[in-house]
Amino acid sequence: MRGIRIVILLAAAALLLSPFLAARPGQALQGGGAGAASATIAPPQGGVASAPGATTATPQDAKAKTKVETPAAATTVAAAPQTAKIEAAPVAPAPAKKPAKKAPEKRTETIVPAFAGIKEQTAVYVFYAWLWLSIAVLIYFLRLWVRESDRVYHAKYYEPEESPRKANPLPQVLGD
Amino acid sequence: MKIDMKKVGAWFDDRLALTPIFKYMTKKEVPQHEHSIWYYTGSSILLFLAIQIVTGIMLAFYYKPTLEGANDSVARIMTEMPLGWLVRSIHSWSATFMIAFVMIHLLAIWFTKSYRKPREATWMTGMMLLVVSMVFGFTGYLLPWDDLSLSATKVGTNIPNAIPVVGKWVTQFLRGGDDVTGDTLTRFFVFHVCILPLVIFAVMAVHLLLVQKEGMSVPLEAEIKKKKVPSLPFWPNFILREVMIWLVLLGTLMTVALVFAPSLGPSADLMSPAPAGVKPEWYFLFLFQTLKIFPGNMGPVTGEFVAVVLILLAVVAIFFLPFIDNKPEGKKGKIINYLGVLGVIYAIVFSIWSLL
Repeated sequence: MRGIRIVILLAAAALLLSPFLAARPGQALQGGGAGAASATIAPPQGGVASAPGATTATPQDAKAKTKVETPAAATTVAAAPQTAKIEAAPVAPAPAKKPAKKAPEKRTETIVPAFAGIKEQTAVYVFYAWLWLSIAVLIYFLRLWVRESDRVYHAKYYEPEESPRKANPLPQVLGD
Repeated sequence: MKIDMKKVGAWFDDRLALTPIFKYMTKKEVPQHEHSIWYYTGSSILLFLAIQIVTGIMLAFYYKPTLEGANDSVARIMTEMPLGWLVRSIHSWSATFMIAFVMIHLLAIWFTKSYRKPREATWMTGMMLLVVSMVFGFTGYLLPWDDLSLSATKVGTNIPNAIPVVGKWVTQFLRGGDDVTGDTLTRFFVFHVCILPLVIFAVMAVHLLLVQKEGMSVPLEAEIKKKKVPSLPFWPNFILREVMIWLVLLGTLMTVALVFAPSLGPSADLMSPAPAGVKPEWYFLFLFQTLKIFPGNMGPVTGEFVAVVLILLAVVAIFFLPFIDNKPEGKKGKIINYLGVLGVIYAIVFSIWSLL
């Protein structure tokens, strides 16, 4: 039983940590619920991650891609996401005219925390309802346990000299 | 393959000597009286510290302590990481809860006079834990690197400047230079995640050891009249009650973190002037206001110097309180209780004044 409990605990911990340990691909590209502020951080809408075959791109990759792409290239990607990689890769610019890297724009808005979408919002509210319900149920059982522990203690059940177990005739009857 | 859990348990017990610890826990008794509720504040601090460690590690996976990356990485945690904003909020709010509980714990000990002999060292380590917790808060406040945190850190790290001889050196040490820069940010990050955790664990270990050694204090009256105070076993009677309180606190923390999640301002500009309404964290507000009410010059010295010296003297006096209040049952003890009430009123009034 204890082994099963340990396995369940480990699984629960892993489940709890897993969404945060690995950012889901395409998460950043959904726009998020942080309003206008997130739009300045996230790459252009309808970008690479929505294209088939680009599912392995992490938000970091997507972000880095946004930084080096010229505005023209970005437009191409947004218009035809499926062919974005093929179009962008082979066209090598002349060595003399290397396009200057565009400095990332400085964010000027305050980021207000918000849910990424209705799905996340519902999940969080359900989780909170479950949390408070669990707390209520656990407290109910803990109170029973506390009462029983107090009763046993006040009855001096575990005191070697005064234990009511000594007055229990059952062990003698059973020959123990 | 079937694992014999009894054998596994016996193996661990043999190596870690768990049986004597469990035996000690069942034998340990907690006094039960009208002030027993304050015993629970101590373990609640541990709960919040544990939450801080877990959420802090989660945030550290993505945080970048550099001038260019700090604000952006926090923005990324808030907008790109699933529920990153909630994790950040829990971390921030558990810090607030922890410091609030450390303060309540200390005040409870102050007013019940539990610091009296032989618990002087327990009080002193507790005071050290309060200071370390506040330094934790101070270093963590800069990490999001927005205008407000930068300005508050500039003000905070400038305070030691008022102390003669060592003041300038202390400020330079805190900032990693003459001004708050990227070096300060890296320095604060190292303090926040490396040095302070080591310090808090070391001091907490000594504090808990002393609590176990001396046991929990009984009310002063009962001690003077040599009355026998009823008690309960630590395990399971007391610990089960603690678990109930932890559950309620956990739910409260999670709810507060969801409803009042902190926002993130734009990245700080080192060249821009301080924004209006710069304020430190709530637990520094009364000190901030104290510094503000002192005039620029007070005779040969600056007002700031006088304020800093007074604050330092107060901290030193509180640290050595058990030795000052060496007869807690007498008149001195009553005066110290009144001073405690005055101190609480002063802290509340000045904090509110600072917010107005």
